[in-house]
Amino acid sequence: MSEILNESIVELELQGDHVAGEFDTPATSRTWYHYVLIAGAVIFAAVSVGFVGTIFWSSLPTWLHHTSTLLTGSAWSSPIGPFGGLAMIVGTLETSLIALVIAVIIGLGTSIAIVYMIPARFRNIVATLVELLAAIPSIVYGLWGLLILAPWMEKTVNPWLNSWPFAHEIFGNSGQEFGTSLLLASIVLGIMILPTFVAISREVISVVPQDLVEASLSLGATRWQVIRKVVLPTARIGLFGATFLALARATGETVAVALVAGGVANVQFHLLYPGTSIAAWIASEFGESQGNEIAALMALGVLLMALNFALSLVSRWLVRRQRKVLALV
Amino acid sequence: MNDLSELHEASTPSSRMRDEIRRTSDASRARRMTVSRIMILLCGLALAVSAVPLVALIYELLRLGVPVIDKTFFTTLPATPTLIAPNATGGVSNAIIGTLVLTLYASIMAIPLGVLVGVYLSESDSKLAAALRVISQTMAGAPSILMGLFAFSFIVHDLNVGFSAIAGAFALAVLMMPVIIISTEIAVRGVPNTLREAGLALGAKPHKVSLRIVLPAAISGIVTGSILAVSRAVGETAPVLLTIGGGFINSWKPLDPVSALPLTIFENAKSEWPSQRAQVWGIALVLVAFVFVLSLSARIWAARKQRVNN
Repeated sequence: MSEILNESIVELELQGDHVAGEFDTPATSRTWYHYVLIAGAVIFAAVSVGFVGTIFWSSLPTWLHHTSTLLTGSAWSSPIGPFGGLAMIVGTLETSLIALVIAVIIGLGTSIAIVYMIPARFRNIVATLVELLAAIPSIVYGLWGLLILAPWMEKTVNPWLNSWPFAHEIFGNSGQEFGTSLLLASIVLGIMILPTFVAISREVISVVPQDLVEASLSLGATRWQVIRKVVLPTARIGLFGATFLALARATGETVAVALVAGGVANVQFHLLYPGTSIAAWIASEFGESQGNEIAALMALGVLLMALNFALSLVSRWLVRRQRKVLALV
Repeated sequence: MNDLSELHEASTPSSRMRDEIRRTSDASRARRMTVSRIMILLCGLALAVSAVPLVALIYELLRLGVPVIDKTFFTTLPATPTLIAPNATGGVSNAIIGTLVLTLYASIMAIPLGVLVGVYLSESDSKLAAALRVISQTMAGAPSILMGLFAFSFIVHDLNVGFSAIAGAFALAVLMMPVIIISTEIAVRGVPNTLREAGLALGAKPHKVSLRIVLPAAISGIVTGSILAVSRAVGETAPVLLTIGGGFINSWKPLDPVSALPLTIFENAKSEWPSQRAQVWGIALVLVAFVFVLSLSARIWAARKQRVNN
């Protein structure tokens, strides 16, 4: 999603409740205009109910008969079954969590640098660059990962990683043909969710009251002490919100992961081996599937939706709470 | 400080204590400043690192993409390379037309409805509005593959339309709508209440105020949101992957299977023919150029809005 929008949502959440409701006039004084607007709202409500309902309805055969297979089975054999989703669920969690660690470490530094280091007149340029990073379609990241990063991983990074003691336990050494692996998928994902995290954390950090910063500077704290002891704790809840939103974004990323993860449905904890994620698996399998397999893929879609919506809602709630914190400061 | 300290004898307990404090604080200050400088430097490093992918990606796009773009790239249909003619990839005219068709139909579906809902949300505090606000913000972050699943089940399968441009456009419209709704709501909220009150005070009906005063004042925000939504839809692969069928024809008809630029990249990126893998970079370059132009124009619109407001 675009960063302008992310920032605006956060701004909206941080600003607080608006004064509206002038439009909620009594039924007697409504005009055609009210009804057109209400009709639009009802259509959108119907579309969103249909969105959830249709996907769930199409997956119903799987939930009725194969719930345990889907959640705990590790083998996916088309076209007849069984259709076990454990490999995809594990793959989604692995890749998104590693991506999140990458994005949060780099993103937090970036946000602090943007807010406290870049002179105000360059801030707009940096914001535009971050936005361009977010605007690049995910398929292009996937292409870059597949044709540029994967050969590089295979020739340079993988041997280097495996030269460390005990590294084999974490990474394994698959000798994978194209260099596609869960680790590569995590790195590409990390790059992709970085702008999401930066857009929100930058906003959250920049609304920390200047009084607090100046008060602690005047007490002799260094810039880093101000950031670590004042800014980050004040912005803490909002930063968690940014983290959850980035995680939500990572779990839903589809085509880039489909291209660079390797597309193998194995429960795999060695990161240099190929794997897959829920979204990537739906994208790569859907074309050749029918009947029960479509229902099973739809059921994976339901899982993805539940995970994503839960993360989004938590994130929204956290950013809202940040507003309350700011009101108390 | 210095003047004061000179008034005291050097060896009194209080002056010894003061010297001790000063020594400790100097040492502590030096250490704290070093830590601070290192950490600030690391933050700057993080900023530099986060710029690396953008630079590297654009470099590769230009290096590998520019050579494969020529006239036939835009004007001819794709061909399948054979052993005799391994470089006969043809062009991607079907994907370019397909992307334009999909975006057009999706915009026709999503923009009017999205603006309506956005205006409704900005002017209402009903329970429905509160629910729709949460829904649209949640849907704005929903994985795009789910829009594909929805459009497949509903349009391709249940309504039995088959793989078609309209199914893909529907998926993209569902994807675009939350973005348009949210930005419309924000834009309309941004219109100062004094304008509304002035209109009402002059005796205008509420809908006249809304249509003639509030919407024109909010138009650049609405346009920005719509361009953003379009630029997002143009680059999406997952929703169209499940719905449009990837036809090798130049067609504007809503019921025909069409192709799209992102879909062609997805399908050809793992091609066994080096010529097709090379051509993919050209497609990616065109796509990124398209998206960049759209999002930069959205930014310019947004800047214009700010100027007008100021």
